[in-house]
Amino acid sequence: MVNRTPVIAVIGAGIAGLEAARQLKDLGYKPVLIEKAPVVGGHVAEWNRLFPDLSPAADLVQSLSKGAGSVKTYTDTEIASMGRLKDGYSLILGNGETLLCDAVLFATGFHLFDASKKEEYGYGIYDRVITNRDLEQWFNNRHDPRVANPKAVGFVHCVGSRDVKAGNTQCSKVCCITAIKQAIEIKEEFPEAEVYCFYMDLRLFGKKYEDFYIKAQRDYGIHFIRGRVSEVGEAIDGRVVVKAEDTLNGKPIKVTLDLLVLMAGIVCNPDAQHYAREIGVAVDEDGFLRSRDNVSSIVESSRPGVFYAGACTGAKTIPETLAEARSAALTIHQYFNKRK
Amino acid sequence: MRERIASHFDPFVIPFLVGMAFVLGYCLIAMIRVIAQLPKEDRKRFLVSLITPKYLWMDVRDIFLNCLIHVKLWKRNRVLGYMHSSIAFGWFMIIVLGHLEVMLFVPERIHLFYYPIFFNYFVAETEQTIQGSLLMFLMDFFLLMILSGIALAVIKRFASRIVGMRRTTRLSLLDRVGLYSLWAIFPLRLLAESFTAHISGGSFLTIPTNWIFRQFLGNDLNALPTWWAYSIALGVFMCVLPFTRYMHIPAEMLLIPMRNAGIRIRHSRKGFALLEVYSCPACGVCIDACPMSVQKANCKDCTVYLNRQLRRGNERRIEEISDKCLLCGKCTAVCQVGVQGPELRIAQRERRKYALSPSFADINVRPMASAVVHGAGGESGGVLYFAGCMTQLTPSIRKATTSLLDKAGVRWQMMDPDGGLCCGRPLMMAGRTEQARELIAKNLEIIRASGCDTLLLSCPICYKVFKEEYPLDDIRVVHHSVFFQELVASGKLQVQKEEGLKLVWHDPCELGRGCGIYDEPRAALAAAGEVVEAAKHHTESICCGGSLGSLTLSFDQRRPMVQNALDNLTAADPAEIVTGCPLCLSTFVRQADRPVRDIAEVLDSRC
Repeated sequence: MVNRTPVIAVIGAGIAGLEAARQLKDLGYKPVLIEKAPVVGGHVAEWNRLFPDLSPAADLVQSLSKGAGSVKTYTDTEIASMGRLKDGYSLILGNGETLLCDAVLFATGFHLFDASKKEEYGYGIYDRVITNRDLEQWFNNRHDPRVANPKAVGFVHCVGSRDVKAGNTQCSKVCCITAIKQAIEIKEEFPEAEVYCFYMDLRLFGKKYEDFYIKAQRDYGIHFIRGRVSEVGEAIDGRVVVKAEDTLNGKPIKVTLDLLVLMAGIVCNPDAQHYAREIGVAVDEDGFLRSRDNVSSIVESSRPGVFYAGACTGAKTIPETLAEARSAALTIHQYFNKRK
Repeated sequence: MRERIASHFDPFVIPFLVGMAFVLGYCLIAMIRVIAQLPKEDRKRFLVSLITPKYLWMDVRDIFLNCLIHVKLWKRNRVLGYMHSSIAFGWFMIIVLGHLEVMLFVPERIHLFYYPIFFNYFVAETEQTIQGSLLMFLMDFFLLMILSGIALAVIKRFASRIVGMRRTTRLSLLDRVGLYSLWAIFPLRLLAESFTAHISGGSFLTIPTNWIFRQFLGNDLNALPTWWAYSIALGVFMCVLPFTRYMHIPAEMLLIPMRNAGIRIRHSRKGFALLEVYSCPACGVCIDACPMSVQKANCKDCTVYLNRQLRRGNERRIEEISDKCLLCGKCTAVCQVGVQGPELRIAQRERRKYALSPSFADINVRPMASAVVHGAGGESGGVLYFAGCMTQLTPSIRKATTSLLDKAGVRWQMMDPDGGLCCGRPLMMAGRTEQARELIAKNLEIIRASGCDTLLLSCPICYKVFKEEYPLDDIRVVHHSVFFQELVASGKLQVQKEEGLKLVWHDPCELGRGCGIYDEPRAALAAAGEVVEAAKHHTESICCGGSLGSLTLSFDQRRPMVQNALDNLTAADPAEIVTGCPLCLSTFVRQADRPVRDIAEVLDSRC
């Protein structure tokens, strides 16, 4: 241990994993990135532009993967099993290799809520109902017959978030601002379209978020309707009929739309839970990994040598995730300094 | 034959006589009270049924089969069936035979209540005569039968798992007094008869025991105290009976004729409801059956405890138990007496006073009525499809149902294309019957305006209330699973069968136990794949856990119930779970590890 460069297994090569791996490499350690998808970048790689400055997501992913360029990276590789050793961990990879490491960093991220579980919104049943991810993909490749010159577009906030019936009581943090961003982008794309956002309340906590929201109303004329969508139906021509209650004026409303975008929320990654159980790391009631302390040491687990970065402990924005990745790298550095 | 006691009396019979007089008096007053509490038309109906030969025959048959032989219990659990029928039928036979003995040998003493019970003390009979030996043999035979039942009861009390019950009721203090005195009666009778067998005669049981005792007891001084003990045990049992669960014995004998006469619960605490509460034998079969019992914290919310709290008048607990229940009806399905747990709870809910009771009487349904008139296009007949609120929230069911109607060439229109009024069942379940009636009146207007001949429902919750509470007379009310089964059977829907595709049918509470529909959906599914059964199915199907019935269960509390219901359904490892209720569907979808679909979706995807 003393003479050997410590090896750190970084699970997940999303933005948290890439950034942490770069920092660890710069600190003189030997990080190993393990990613089950064929490409690195995680969810951000699927996105088109990022709020609030509408900067391209591809640029961020590119700069992060460039930073982690010399780090040994396994893509398209699952972890078959994980085990505890005397002072380290062993990972058996899907390709048959065994990786012995001195520390493990969970950068396993999140899962996007499966919107078809909220059947009343009609995802997978009606043609004109898509999710936030589908829309980003359309922004990327412009191939989706469902998005065909819409005249009226609706966004439903909190799909699978803050919803006890869906089994997720947590706020996904990023959907409010994502909906506003996508609404603006739709309006830029189709200036004639009427755009509606159905929300419970708007949680615009980050830098420039509130300005962005005001801009959406003032400059783009996007309608914000406070009230949950009660049900979605289909008109004979295939358009979707949305029923909701406008709780600000206390009246039920009904609008017919060409496109309905569901803001699917952030839920825990079941793979992360599985690995955590294998090496005895605690999982919180919400399904996310449990930190040693939710205030002072969010990147540490209660097991020595196991650390977290990013959305594996709960919904996070990109700047928060990157800051956590750096913080995790420093915490790992201190951990090895103490062990010397 | 000779009478041993010249005065035909001994003070030891007093405890028995006191107990007998008390219990008969109490039951008589209670019976009059229950009958008096019935609403006038119910009372008349009941009294008329008692002089109608058809009902009378039904009453006698049901009382014999249920109270003495316990046929329902035999079907469910043979050990428990034997235990109960051996005690009940054996005891009944001993009393009958006792009277027979008195009538045969000392007919002049038949007016003495205690003679048939303590016959062997007062009359010495030899087993030499054919009647004597036969009667004595039968007496011993039935005594042995009862003793074997008592032995099982003792085992059951201390190790309920041996007789196939996971949980059994916790007894109250008086229940224990009743139980122990009941256990004591028959061993004491055996001892008393054994001590006197060399004087009064006996048979295969009492003569050998008499011989054994005489080997080490030199005299007959034990005989009288044992007869005293026997009489005291009887007296104690009868004196505590009205205050224990054993009140179910007399109560059930009144419950059966009343139920046969078609009497229903009309008041939360009086009349038939009171009778049902007292008919509960507190056996605890409902505890294992209740879907809430997967969590130990809810075990005390089963029907047996509702009945106990109703007897005690503990209002706080009555309200808690009544509001929590899913109203799935499984406790009634497994109950030997047929206590209607859900109906009793709804009656309790009706007592509540609400600060706000919005009226639905002012809703203007003319636009909806004229829409269906317009939709019918001047023609009468055809199918009116009411999707209901739950199907509106599960659009895949509505889509599949309308698609199947088109494929089968049925002339149909929707009653609520734009959303409709509530069917009224949720309000009924909440005990707000008056408001439900207002909605029923409004919906009736729309249905009548359409001129349809069939009302199609894809939600069993709606189906039950339309079937039971709507006076629709000539309009057929049908659940979509039944309607589509008929279309499949008549060849109007051609379903492609996939061999080896295992489908399990989940019986929704409101459709299965609620309306007795079990076979049609299975027959329809058999056209699409191979139907496998859940571990518990038909009347014993387990509620999905999402029921509207419960007013207070939280989603967290329901989750283990949903999981339990899913585990039950996947016992035969089906590829898909199929149901006919939008509420079951949306409840299962959230937690299932395999596809869950409505029967309409399954059929629509294969034809």
